[in-house]
Amino acid sequence: MSTPSAEPLSRFRVLTAVVEDHPGVLTRVAGMIRRRGFNIQGLSVGPTDERGRSRMTLTVDAGHAEVDQVQKQLDRLIEVIEVEDLTEASRLSRELALVKLAVTGPQRDRAVAEVDRFGGRVVDAGAEHVIVEVSGEFDRVERFLELLRPYGITDLARSGPVAMSTEVAVHER
Amino acid sequence: MTGAEIVLEALQREGVDVIFGYPGGANLPIYQQLPRYPKLRHVLVRHEQGAAHMADGYARACGRPGVVFATSGPGALNTITGLATAYMDSIPMVAITGQQNTTLVGRDAFQESDVIGCSMPVTKHNYMITRVDDIARVIHEAFHIATTGRPGPVLIDICKDVQQASCEPVWRDAIELPGYRPAFTPDLSRVREAADALSRAARPVILAGHGVILSGGQQELIALAERSVTPTGTTLLGVGAFPVRHPLSLHMTGFMGTGWNLKAVQNADLLMMVGMRVDDRVTAKLSEWAPNVETFIHVDIDPSEMGKNVRPHLEVVADAKTALREMLPHVQEPKPECRRPWLTQIDRWREEHPLKYTRSNGHLQPQDVMIEMYRRCDDDAIVVADVGQNQIWAALWWNYTRPGLFINSGGAGTMGFAFPASIGAKIARPEKAVWCVAGEGGFVMTAQELSVAVKHRLDIKIVLLNNFSLGMVRQFQDDFYGGVRSEVDLTEMPDFVKLADAYGLPGLCVERIEDMPAAFDFAERTRGPVLIDFRIDPDANVYPIVPLGKGLNDFTELPDEYA
Repeated sequence: MSTPSAEPLSRFRVLTAVVEDHPGVLTRVAGMIRRRGFNIQGLSVGPTDERGRSRMTLTVDAGHAEVDQVQKQLDRLIEVIEVEDLTEASRLSRELALVKLAVTGPQRDRAVAEVDRFGGRVVDAGAEHVIVEVSGEFDRVERFLELLRPYGITDLARSGPVAMSTEVAVHER
Repeated sequence: MTGAEIVLEALQREGVDVIFGYPGGANLPIYQQLPRYPKLRHVLVRHEQGAAHMADGYARACGRPGVVFATSGPGALNTITGLATAYMDSIPMVAITGQQNTTLVGRDAFQESDVIGCSMPVTKHNYMITRVDDIARVIHEAFHIATTGRPGPVLIDICKDVQQASCEPVWRDAIELPGYRPAFTPDLSRVREAADALSRAARPVILAGHGVILSGGQQELIALAERSVTPTGTTLLGVGAFPVRHPLSLHMTGFMGTGWNLKAVQNADLLMMVGMRVDDRVTAKLSEWAPNVETFIHVDIDPSEMGKNVRPHLEVVADAKTALREMLPHVQEPKPECRRPWLTQIDRWREEHPLKYTRSNGHLQPQDVMIEMYRRCDDDAIVVADVGQNQIWAALWWNYTRPGLFINSGGAGTMGFAFPASIGAKIARPEKAVWCVAGEGGFVMTAQELSVAVKHRLDIKIVLLNNFSLGMVRQFQDDFYGGVRSEVDLTEMPDFVKLADAYGLPGLCVERIEDMPAAFDFAERTRGPVLIDFRIDPDANVYPIVPLGKGLNDFTELPDEYA
């Protein structure tokens, strides 16, 4: 997985898919994406409000294929109920990042102050480290990490983005 | 009922009459019950790959889904090539495999393998059943998925303890698959536009693929081609969709297509692609394909085919038969003078680039064998070809005056397909003559199924085009790989007459053209399987051919000095 912003934007598609919550659905989606020469940049999965349905948010590099192939190939999977390509749509997108910093003394104070100013949050602290979190659009998370890098990031966990169209017409089944 | 009984009962309810299978540890409960279901005819194969190809050939010949049984582990894995073959060519099949007990799955138990994982990329869908209550529903869904929309194989992996468990099955007709929406309502919004464009074009061409045959749209295709006066060719899998001796026929397209077809495609201003994937074997070098086309029309049942390889100007997402039928009334018959220059030009190309083959070098030529075979087919027999030179010779010399059935593994290109597929075809259509055309290399890959043909006295005429080498690979090495003949020699092959004898069917060997008619006479007289080993010219090549990596304009033909 690499940083999408390094590539021409158009090849990257942001899609959400409502899928049946069956064993193996993730394998099907991931397998199809690999098989077709696409590449997953970001993926998150969670339950929807409806029993037996999950929502996947995918950021996919269409590779050498036409960009609409990603949605069409996802749609062919029997257990994929609905796919929306949000790339060109007005959408809301959030990603969560947990960052562990090995900081002590005055350096720690400076780091925590920066986190505060940015709107991040300290969620854990020990003698030798703090863990901070931030959520937001992809770019905001990137800027946050840029800010913290000088302090020495020892561990980083990112959720991958979840996304939703802001248009009213979007139907939920 | 036990799970095993539910499986068999469900198959009966789906109208299954034949199962191609092989028993083993993990499907024993099903086989224990099988004798109690005499309406389900079981064909015991000699290798599970054979079962898959037989089911495939069965489905291609009659349109009903082919059914396969195999046990877990190696049994199931042996079907993979057959599933891939069916998947590439959109053939409806249902494979039911045994699996280890639910309690042992994931523990590397005996004959356990991840059949779901292995078959996922080569099936339209697959299921693993771990609860007996799911069997009835899943089998019904599997048949629905296999046969609707763009057809394809579905695999069902059933744990052995589930086959032995009991429940009262609930037989529902309704299907609840919220994510499965094949093109039930065809999108015909562009049909009128497509028909207008076709009528207006100066140099139109129709290319017809497998989708025309799968949808049974041959007559609709002929009607549309005739009304719009459009020269019409087929893909390799579309051979049979349009009569080759029709005045508008362009015969086969693609990198081993006929010269006049390729000339027409390269000069057309409109190309309508019906029920085809526009794959690399059709286009050769894509950037040089059909450079003069101003309007691409693509008709296919699968929306993902639109723009996958070629971005059409007009998309019709519908099955070929429906789309062609709906298009017909909108087609304005063009004035004769509008089409005459184009048709005249194509006639000229047909004369300038006829199919040619080497004659009178003393060897029996494969084309001679094909011409004689088709003469005897009388526009009626089913011809099943293997993969390689034999496949192209059988396709190019197919010469029916009306649509017919030409079966081959066009997408996957599976050697060893033809013979077991011809068994399936014969079982599906016992009233039809079935001819199997194969090279000796592909034939021995699945030759063990001869026992099946003998056991069931299947009237299959095996035409072996034997050049004692892997001919297509040899031709590629000669022409495109510096003439280095590497590992293509098949001199050490069985004596096929003795092989036939060992399996209990008559076999003949023909080395001279003079002996050919008598051998065919014998084959036609013989009831049950018969094998003819035609010893053909070892240097016979497929022409025309587009050099690998080149565009269709660069097709090469048999040099005149050999013709």
